[in-house]
Amino acid sequence: MTTPNPQLSAPPPSPSRRDFLKLATRGLLYFSGLLGLGGLLRYLNYQPDPPPPARFEAGLATDYALNSRTLLPAVPAALIRDSKGFRAFSLVCSHLGCTVEIKSDNYACPCHGSRYDLAGQVIKGPASIPLTPLRVELTQDGKIVVYKE
Amino acid sequence: MTRPDPNDPLKPDIIPSMSFPTRRRLLALSLGCGLWLLLVALAAFYPRPAQGAGDEPTPEPTSWVAPDLYKPVIPDDPLLADLGAVKYWGVCMACHGDRGQGLTDEWRERGFGEDMNCWQSRCHSYNHPSEGFQLVRVVPPAVGSNTLRRFTTAAELQAYLVVKMPWWNPNSLTPAEAWQLTAFLLRENGVYPRGLEFQPQKAAAIPVHLPYRAQTGERLTQWLFFATLSLATGLLLLSLARLRRSSIPSGVAAGNAPDAPPVSVVEPAMQPVQKPLPPIVHHRPNFLHHLHPPTIPFPQARWRYTLGMGGLAVFLTLLVGVTGALEMFFYIPTPAQAGSSIQEISFLAPFGGLVRGLHFWGAQALVIVSGLHLLRILFTGAYAPPRRFNFLLGLALFVLALLFDFTGYVLRWDEGIRWALMVGTNLLKTVPLIGAQLYGVVIGGVKPGLATLTRFYAWHIFGLTLFLAVILVWHLFRVRRDGGISAPPPELRRDPRRITRYDLAQREGLAMLLASLALIAVSLLWPAPLAAPIQEPPVTVLGEVRAPWFFLWIQQLLRYGDAFWLGVALPLGVLVLLAALPYLFPRLPDQQRGRWFPPAGRAVQIIGVLLALGWLALTLLELATKTP
Repeated sequence: MTTPNPQLSAPPPSPSRRDFLKLATRGLLYFSGLLGLGGLLRYLNYQPDPPPPARFEAGLATDYALNSRTLLPAVPAALIRDSKGFRAFSLVCSHLGCTVEIKSDNYACPCHGSRYDLAGQVIKGPASIPLTPLRVELTQDGKIVVYKE
Repeated sequence: MTRPDPNDPLKPDIIPSMSFPTRRRLLALSLGCGLWLLLVALAAFYPRPAQGAGDEPTPEPTSWVAPDLYKPVIPDDPLLADLGAVKYWGVCMACHGDRGQGLTDEWRERGFGEDMNCWQSRCHSYNHPSEGFQLVRVVPPAVGSNTLRRFTTAAELQAYLVVKMPWWNPNSLTPAEAWQLTAFLLRENGVYPRGLEFQPQKAAAIPVHLPYRAQTGERLTQWLFFATLSLATGLLLLSLARLRRSSIPSGVAAGNAPDAPPVSVVEPAMQPVQKPLPPIVHHRPNFLHHLHPPTIPFPQARWRYTLGMGGLAVFLTLLVGVTGALEMFFYIPTPAQAGSSIQEISFLAPFGGLVRGLHFWGAQALVIVSGLHLLRILFTGAYAPPRRFNFLLGLALFVLALLFDFTGYVLRWDEGIRWALMVGTNLLKTVPLIGAQLYGVVIGGVKPGLATLTRFYAWHIFGLTLFLAVILVWHLFRVRRDGGISAPPPELRRDPRRITRYDLAQREGLAMLLASLALIAVSLLWPAPLAAPIQEPPVTVLGEVRAPWFFLWIQQLLRYGDAFWLGVALPLGVLVLLAALPYLFPRLPDQQRGRWFPPAGRAVQIIGVLLALGWLALTLLELATKTP
């Protein structure tokens, strides 16, 4: 009991070795912390809701009059039929995502006052990007399908 | 949400029959069968088909105007709903159908006879000849489940009828006629009991989608509660004033007047009176006295200096916590049920309107009170060292109050919050580099949905509360650590008098009573806002799209340009500027402490005034902006 432990009485490791151990410990701790943070971010980023549909059926093509503009609220989109055929664009404001309202000669965003002309181009800010055109398909049996993205 | 109406005699499934004790079962069964037979017979000979039971087969029309389409007979003592039935027959039935089914093929055939084909004719199409006119094609049903979804209360329904109906001649209905129609529609939808007179003056509290509940005397009780509480407050004030007048003259130092009567006195702000501490043996301190300071120096607690805003904010936090816990007993955080469960709290649960009103108005008051507290700190130089760090904690609490308010606002999940949520979360997307990640973390999907509501609920109830508990306690602890609730001006610092905990508790009690009274009155007069639950796709006509009032300034800013710089960077910049103020302008000479507007703090005061005025101007501008 009285004999000193040879390991305890051994000279302490050299400063450089001690520094290295300290550095390694800290580095590993920080690294694990970063990994944990990344894991947390990925955990929180998980999306439990299924992605919303990207394909919308809009009924018979013959239901839409020539030179008409119809609101498809489920998309939301404006479906246009003119002499060139069917076109559609999204009614989601390119500024911050509110649904724009159909006016007689323009589209108006109720949130921050952006305006788009009938072709979807910006007339008045704050929006800077035109309304997104959507792909429209005419199926074999004469039905209209609108695709988002 | 349409529930079976217990008063509808045509619904046999409400007859209780099988759950009685064995002895009575036979009796009940036979009684039930008899009653059921009676009802079936009644239904068979009932002149009109059942209102609101949308799926029942309709009798074949014999002539083109079936007898059940004749003008309804007004009873001798007509209720509003009976008058409404006639009005409906005359104005609405043509489009909305005899049973409120909307313009279905079945109704076209039965109601219009050979004219049923006019909808196919070119005379009434969109490109009709000049002598023709267009017929309305899509008419929503007005009776049955999933109808009238855009309305929350009977008052909203009536207002809509007045402004929008009938479609060919809006604004032609008088308000009284609109009330008759409202009463009729509610009755047909099984919401309002048959035979009970509709009361237009209560329409703001009559929900369109929840069963009827008689609110006998509830409102009276609430005002009685308010009256008794105000009476108690008045008496307390009176007794305090009398004590003040009859109290011992000022200038008696603590402990030097052992013979003075141990009266409890609240000191006037400018002419303080000291009175001896009560003997300890008679007032053994309980646990609460550990949390509450035993005494505080008199010169610190000057109402004209502190405005009492910090203490008020603590009280409001507690009030909002308690009323929020009460709301949790009913609130259901799912998109389908959030809106209706809040309506149940507001309209059905006894005193639910008061609970929700206190929660809502308490939260709004908390934002205002914290804002005023912040301004007071800026204008008195109380941010200067050694209170610099506590200033940061207080700022964090202010931000937390805003986050609580916004998350709670979203929990309504009704059409009123839809676009604010959309804009607020889309702003996150505009942040460079981490925007998409941030959006995913907050929203939990590619667009707001169930996951979003769950997350906002989790933050509102628990996540933010964790931060709040830690920072609030830390803030209060630092107040005492940094030398009390305020630094007195030099001439008052040597004043040895102290306010006892009894006086302090009395003052606090008085302040809480007054704040509660104000909040109860506001809650009773102006119910917390509510809109129709969110539906996909939206049915509500856009129009008034507004951020919550404390974010109106950001909505106005966003009208001017780039979403990230104006909607994210600028508000964050303001926050950083506020946080940096005590570090940019730390110098405050000792003799200037404890006063309003110390000269050494001019720069901070000017910044504070500019920020407050800027906020006010942007908010007013936004309120003045007409929606397109």
